[in-house]
Amino acid sequence: MAGILIVEDDKELREMIAVALMRRKFTVIEAANGKEAIMHFKPSITDLVVTDLIMPEEDGLKVIMKLRELKPSIRVIAISGGGKAGPGSYLNLAKALGADAIYSKPFSLNDLIDRIENMLNTGKPG
Amino acid sequence: MKHNLQDIGESERSRSAGSGLAISDQIINHSRSMISIINKDYVYEKVNATFCREHQIVSEAVEGKSLADVWGGDTFRDHIKSKVDLCLAGETVSYEASFNTPRQGTRFYEVVFRPLAAGNEGITHLIAETFDVHDLRVSQQQAEEMKEQLRQFETNLPIGFIRCKPDGKILHANSAFKRIVSCPDDIQLVNMNLKSFYPVEVLYDIQIEQLFELRTKTFGRVFLKNWGGDEIPCRISGFLAMDELSRPSFIDFAIEDSSRELMLENRLLQAQKLETIGALAGGIAHDFNNILTTISGYSEMLQEDLPGESPESEKVSRIQGAVKKAQSIIKQILTFSRHVEQEKIRVKVSEVLVETIGFISSSVPGNISVENSIKEADAEVLADPTQLFRVFLNMMTNAVQSMEKTGGTLSVNMEVVDGKSVKSELNRDIVADEYILIAFKDTGKGMEPSIIERIFEPFFTTREVGKGIGLGLSVIHGIIAELEGEILVSSKREKGTTFYIYLPVSKEYEETVREDKKRKKILFITGNKHESRILSIALEKSSYDLRYTTDKNDLLRLLTEIDNRPDLIIYMSESRQVQPADMISVFSQLMIEIPCILISESNPDMIEENLLNSGIIKQQLIKPVSLKEIRSTIKELLG
Repeated sequence: MAGILIVEDDKELREMIAVALMRRKFTVIEAANGKEAIMHFKPSITDLVVTDLIMPEEDGLKVIMKLRELKPSIRVIAISGGGKAGPGSYLNLAKALGADAIYSKPFSLNDLIDRIENMLNTGKPG
Repeated sequence: MKHNLQDIGESERSRSAGSGLAISDQIINHSRSMISIINKDYVYEKVNATFCREHQIVSEAVEGKSLADVWGGDTFRDHIKSKVDLCLAGETVSYEASFNTPRQGTRFYEVVFRPLAAGNEGITHLIAETFDVHDLRVSQQQAEEMKEQLRQFETNLPIGFIRCKPDGKILHANSAFKRIVSCPDDIQLVNMNLKSFYPVEVLYDIQIEQLFELRTKTFGRVFLKNWGGDEIPCRISGFLAMDELSRPSFIDFAIEDSSRELMLENRLLQAQKLETIGALAGGIAHDFNNILTTISGYSEMLQEDLPGESPESEKVSRIQGAVKKAQSIIKQILTFSRHVEQEKIRVKVSEVLVETIGFISSSVPGNISVENSIKEADAEVLADPTQLFRVFLNMMTNAVQSMEKTGGTLSVNMEVVDGKSVKSELNRDIVADEYILIAFKDTGKGMEPSIIERIFEPFFTTREVGKGIGLGLSVIHGIIAELEGEILVSSKREKGTTFYIYLPVSKEYEETVREDKKRKKILFITGNKHESRILSIALEKSSYDLRYTTDKNDLLRLLTEIDNRPDLIIYMSESRQVQPADMISVFSQLMIEIPCILISESNPDMIEENLLNSGIIKQQLIKPVSLKEIRSTIKELLG
């Protein structure tokens, strides 16, 4: 089954997404920030990354760029909540940097999972 | 010398005495005035030395000649004869004239004609005495001019000036003071008491006490009552003048209206306060979004695990309902704190304004009339039309609510104003050469200053507890700020409230969308055409073919005809003609699969729930729906 890396500094939220993906039999790796994500990244078993954009220690934009460098074929979903730097512009920037899909918090979990399954099944950006 | 000076006037005669003649002659001759004796035939009989000197003639040149000969026939007839006649009839005549003398040029003179009686013959002569009053007149004129200049200066000066007795009795007030206190022109302030302009008279007494001690002092902010009873913030400088015995004589006050200063100060404070609250609220909202996402995620999983119709599943639905409500509040807070990026297109503001007026008009009670005046209807701004609609609707709804009990008029005015005037009016940097100014004016109950100060704060509400959470105007403020515009309010108790919205006019060139022959058809099922017009204004620039229906039969027809069949349906929940149940029946009857977006109020009711569960609805959007949301949802569904 496909492997998914979740990068999110909010522990509860990260675990929730992990639980939901594991229910669908995905292999899940969690990272609490960008630095951890890059450190723990295993290109061979990771097909898709779900990353928050605004995080302490290496933000999501850097994660996207770095992971794309390490594995050009990786699928990326960027998520971002309101507040701080303005999510809209960040999400657009993420898209420009190569995120295949973007989600604004709060999003529907089922939507996210449907999208992930879609992306990994068809190989298309969704 | 023929003339007998013995006969000069009554009083002269009483002196008599023969030796007096020579003295009189001498006095006359040496007088510094020009003196002449004229007989009743208007002929000069004698002129004195001064006369000759001033006119630079010898006496013989004039003596024996008539006035007409000397001054010219016209001058004599028009200016001299009548006065001479009056004098010959017994009156002393004096007048002022300016005339030219060879020695001194044109100067002012005072001329006096006195009748001379000789014995029983009555008045036979007159004595004309001409004094040089030139210097006096010139200095008088200069004094007048200076006085006039001072008066003008005092009138035009934007500073009010008051001179009053220490007890407050006004001795003098200039027009600027009258302007500051809105005193009608025909009212005289002299003798009124300055104390009557103080909200409490003792305030005046306190200032006077300090002036007695310090002689001069500036009181930075004093509120004076104007003619209408409103308080005007003023800056007052006083100076105590003493008389020669060092007793307080009068006080001069210079009074400046500092309303504008205070207003700008307050506005800056408000802006800073809103900025701080915004940053705080935005940060909290960010964390709350994570929490809400977690809650909704787990409840979605739980929903999956539970059997469909179970009481537990019903409870999870309730949780999801509450999460949606919380999401909508968070969304509003984020809009207020400008953490939501608006998708902007060029919009004709007048179009949105007209639709909003149309939208609200149907629900306005009969005792309220709505007027509008729209100038330069083509002016455009860069904005999300759905957000503009929301702003305008909010403004109008508030206005109507404030007049609900009393009735009144809501006037909506739109005009384009010069950026420079906006700069000075708002005291802020401008981002465009021109601004659209929209004013929403009601004649409702108005607001207290303490309320005006806080209306743009989130969670500030004057409504009863439980009615609205008080985000409305704070969200409006956020939307306008995001558009680099400004929203201002002015309000008077019992007079009404006016909201002013400034939006920068956009003149950027925008690429027009290419006409695409295979444009996707979108069908709006709607109850109110004004509201869906707003969405269509928003979507007009995208390459979609937009249609509307409010009617079930029409919907059936459109769906049956293959050529007209839409690629996407947007169903607005308030459409009364097409109920959710109708949607379900139409879709199952025709067995078609067209993606459908439901746009509903924040809390979907049970009937809508049925529709949602029927699978017809692919996406649900909750009002207010932004351009960004509707665009990305359509794009997602149409691919």
